[in-house]
Amino acid sequence: MRSFSEYNPIVTAIWFFCVTGIAMFCNYPVLMLISLAGAIVFFIMRNGLSHGKTHLFFWILFAVLALANPLVSHNGKTVLFVMNHNPVTLEATLYGLNSAVMIIGVLYWFRSFTQIMTSEKLLYITGALSPKLSLILSMALRYVPLFSRQSAKISSAQKAMGLFSDDNIIDDLKGKSRIFSIMVTWALENGIITADSMEARGYGTGRRSQMRRFGFRGADIALLIASLLLFGITAAAVGTDSLSFEFYPALNAGAPDTLGILGIISYGLLIILPMIIETEVNLRWKYLRSGI
Amino acid sequence: MLLIKNKCLRSFIRIFVPFILIPVITVAGALAFDEKKHIIIALAVAVSALLLFAAGFEKKSTGTRRMVIVAVMVALSFAGRFIPFLKPIAALTIITALYLGGEAGFLVGALSAVLSNFYFGQGPWTAFQMLAWGLIGLFAGILSEKLLGSRPLLLLYGALTGIAYSFIMDIWTVLWYNQGFDIKLYLAALVSAVPYTVSYAVSNVLFLFLLAKPFGEKLSRIKIKYGV
Amino acid sequence: MEILAVRDLSFTYPQCSSAAVKNVSFTLERGDFAVLCGATGSGKSTFLRMLKRELTPLGEKKGSIIFCGTELSQLSDRKAASEVGFVMQNPEQQIVTDKVWHELAFGLENMGTPPDEISRRIAEMASYFGIGDWYDKDTAQLSGGQKQLLNLASVLVMQPKLLILDEPTAQLDPIAAADFISTVRRLADDFSITVIMAEHRLEEVVPICDRLLVMEQGQLIASAPPAEVIAALKSREDILCGMPAASRLYARLGIGGACPLTVREGRAFIENNYSNRSPQLQQDEYTHKSNAALEFGDVYFRYERSGRDILCGLSLRIYENELFCILGGNGSGKTTALSAAAGLLRAYSGRIKVFGKKLKDYRNRSLYKECLAMLPQDVQTVFLKSTVREDLKECGADLSVLPYDISHLLDKHPYDLSGGEQQLAALAKVLAAKPKLLLLDEPTKGLDAAAKQTMMTVLRGLKEKGVTVVIVTHDVEFAAACADRCAMFFGGRIASVGTPHEFFPQNSFYTTAVSRMTRGFYDGAVTLEDAAELCRINGRRE
Ligand SMILES: Nc1ncnc2c1ncn2[C@@H]1O[C@H](COP(=O)(O)OP(=O)(O)OP(=O)(O)O)[C@@H](O)[C@H]1O
Ligand SMILES: Nc1ncnc2c1ncn2[C@@H]1O[C@H](COP(=O)(O)OP(=O)(O)OP(=O)(O)O)[C@@H](O)[C@H]1O
Ligand SMILES: [Mg+2]
Ligand SMILES: [Mg+2]
Repeated sequence: MRSFSEYNPIVTAIWFFCVTGIAMFCNYPVLMLISLAGAIVFFIMRNGLSHGKTHLFFWILFAVLALANPLVSHNGKTVLFVMNHNPVTLEATLYGLNSAVMIIGVLYWFRSFTQIMTSEKLLYITGALSPKLSLILSMALRYVPLFSRQSAKISSAQKAMGLFSDDNIIDDLKGKSRIFSIMVTWALENGIITADSMEARGYGTGRRSQMRRFGFRGADIALLIASLLLFGITAAAVGTDSLSFEFYPALNAGAPDTLGILGIISYGLLIILPMIIETEVNLRWKYLRSGI
Repeated sequence: MLLIKNKCLRSFIRIFVPFILIPVITVAGALAFDEKKHIIIALAVAVSALLLFAAGFEKKSTGTRRMVIVAVMVALSFAGRFIPFLKPIAALTIITALYLGGEAGFLVGALSAVLSNFYFGQGPWTAFQMLAWGLIGLFAGILSEKLLGSRPLLLLYGALTGIAYSFIMDIWTVLWYNQGFDIKLYLAALVSAVPYTVSYAVSNVLFLFLLAKPFGEKLSRIKIKYGV
Repeated sequence: MEILAVRDLSFTYPQCSSAAVKNVSFTLERGDFAVLCGATGSGKSTFLRMLKRELTPLGEKKGSIIFCGTELSQLSDRKAASEVGFVMQNPEQQIVTDKVWHELAFGLENMGTPPDEISRRIAEMASYFGIGDWYDKDTAQLSGGQKQLLNLASVLVMQPKLLILDEPTAQLDPIAAADFISTVRRLADDFSITVIMAEHRLEEVVPICDRLLVMEQGQLIASAPPAEVIAALKSREDILCGMPAASRLYARLGIGGACPLTVREGRAFIENNYSNRSPQLQQDEYTHKSNAALEFGDVYFRYERSGRDILCGLSLRIYENELFCILGGNGSGKTTALSAAAGLLRAYSGRIKVFGKKLKDYRNRSLYKECLAMLPQDVQTVFLKSTVREDLKECGADLSVLPYDISHLLDKHPYDLSGGEQQLAALAKVLAAKPKLLLLDEPTKGLDAAAKQTMMTVLRGLKEKGVTVVIVTHDVEFAAACADRCAMFFGGRIASVGTPHEFFPQNSFYTTAVSRMTRGFYDGAVTLEDAAELCRINGRRE
């Protein structure tokens, strides 16, 4: 019984890429709306009503993106009004709106993705692709806080020995640049020692294995298959033009055929999957707890 | 890859295939078939180039010390991205490439992009940033002899790559927004991105001017003392 | 079975005129516990690194090292990596990954061990070392002592046959250090792991080691069971002064018989040979000046708003011209207290006064102008330049009148110095600031006994000139020998203060070996001089 973020990172990542892939590469308005709505619900489900700044930023961006297209592009037949001798068309406006829905949706998805994919999971995924790169990333991740701590230590040590004894900006800047310089030396030197320590423990002597921290269980496989299946149906619907929507020269929406309708439903299901999982977990918990 | 005995040929292929062959084939293919959906092609090119490069790197036996130095530089440029307005990533990528070669440069650029985006926001642009910064490093490595020889040339390279970076990222913005390339939108994007373009070029020149020499000395000392 | 045989080993660093290791030969049997000691810069670290192929520094090497019957350089990569384990001098630097569990798994992953076996082995090792509680933590959050244990554990999961330790206890408090050493001894006994360990704090290890190796200027001058080595080097005061107190007392009194090593043997030695008719030693009354150089008044400090209090109602007066030592466990907040005194951390409540003036009344950093200076715990943070000479010049040191001789280090890069040499160079730099109040954070770590003597002389000289010195240290013997007053730090405040003769006889762990040895027999003996004096006064038992 695991919540969605505890599933195997590879499966979670594939799910994310299925969802955002459809959102990015197709411009069928219904799917875009599903994606945006799903993304917002998903984000709020994980974070509650906090992160007000994020929302604000996204919606300002939404307005900018939606307005940019009609002001720049003058394609389309239905002229709404004329501004600075340039026609502003209905088609371009709707097109801009659609793009904005898509982009903001994807941005929300990636925000949630960044929250779920902690560095440990990222390393697990890159480790499956390339253990060497994953190790470089993991070391770099460790160095960032290490450097900031060390440079704070060096500058306070220097302060206590009278380095910044003159109280003026020039002295400060000079001192800071000297500290930066020694920090780089320190970082490189320490890096070499780390490298030695790695070799001392057999790094690079042959094939590496990876300790498994994330199992591959039945539920993971089920989620994986479900994601791929739903993604497949949607992709087929998009790819075979069952879902076509033309903005230019004039709006032209063909009614979706059966495959098209299936595609829309599948995409909806794909997006609801994690929410289903969360709800199920909650219900199960309630049930199990009632037995305690 | 291991079947090819000649080392030069091997590294040639490792770079040629991901960065030249694949883009050419896909772009040609795209032009022949459907001129919409450029974005799929663009993203596919970026991702497959990166994957192939990673696969080649995985097979190659790189010294551990070299790898760790790359990690250190990645961490430094990540930390540098927190400086407001000025971005030292490209400059550090170039410096690494000059002293440790194009491949190390590529890695520093590409990995700094993924890593820092964990803080500044991942998105589909990550792949393009990785590719753009990585290529800046790769070419600096290829041109390293010339760039090390002349300081003005190095600064010029910094300025040009700063502008080029901004132009490339704008292509991507337009592709994404419009699903196809639109020259008007592109121009609009370029104009609205002028402050960024300037800040990229200025930071590259400034940081190369300030850091190239001291970093060079330090990297050289490490190379002598530890035989990296 | 012979595990290690070294023949005529020599090594010279590039761009150095003399060899760092010269003609060293010796052998080790399986399950031996050998301790390597010697002066600072005598080449211990260099020598130990040569025994670990991957860590051998760049330079010119002669001679042979045979490990389990095979020349070290002929060993396969995997064997060389897994069968020889090395724990480095600086615990911070050895850590490779960002998580504790990953650090433990790292070596096994490199060996290509199957994931299930990795889990099993690290689970076992984590239980053996009690790592379970912090298994999922970031390595950056660990304290120094925990890092040291993690390093040891992550080397041991690879099941090495030979374990090499380079000054593993330098930064541990006396209790943690004793624990660490007994763990190592247990490993040698339980798993027949051969251990070779470089160490300056010999009080605990010498009695329990099988073999004592003494190094001097790159040469091995002794290699035998400890009692024999001490007997052979009885006349070498510089080497002897680092040995266990019991054996130093034995050498000082010079009455023959078997050489005692442990506290228990030392006690028996005194009780059997000397009487205790007058167990009390005449002590001068301690007097101090009336004004305080440094004063804490009810100071509270924490690093994070939601964290716990690290300094918790700390109150303390240190008088002008005093040599004051602070002792206490790892992580008890000693460094934090010093940094607060130096104005580097701001206490959220309470007051700190330096020479009667509040810290915040020192405007424009006048605090650091010939008034106060601090030697930080991590001495690498002291250096800014690419040679020691430039570094000393930068802070205006007069190179012709340095307090002690470091002329041979001046042209080296600070990061190329040995651990102890760095310590000495850093102290020289701090002294160049000519402070009236000197704060030293663990100044004796990594120093050999002779260098400690020098440092003591320097500190006494400063006291003559009217300087106040506050020392934080884990080195009980050093504190007992040089302090005017000592204090015990616990739970964010001072738990007890007193002159060494009041302070140490009350403690049972934070106390000198001499005090433990003579307790109940003589009263208030703390240093070796006290014990020797008492023995002489009381005379031999008939
Ligand atoms: N990388 C280096 N390059 C040049 N000289 C070095 C280097 N490392 C050490 N040395 C010199 O070699 C000598 C032996 O150093 P080593 O580190 O082996 O001493 P040590 O016995 O371990 O001392 P300590 O007890 O202080 O750790 C010292 O004089 C030191 O200055
Ligand atoms: N920068 C920091 N941020 C948060 N907590 C810290 C920081 N530095 C130290 N601590 C915590 O404060 C406590 C006291 O640390 P401090 O370094 O003062 O101990 P110490 O007595 O000097 O120990 P040691 O003898 O090991 O040097 C420890 O529990 C430590 O984890
Ligand atoms: Mg050493
Ligand atoms: Mg401390």
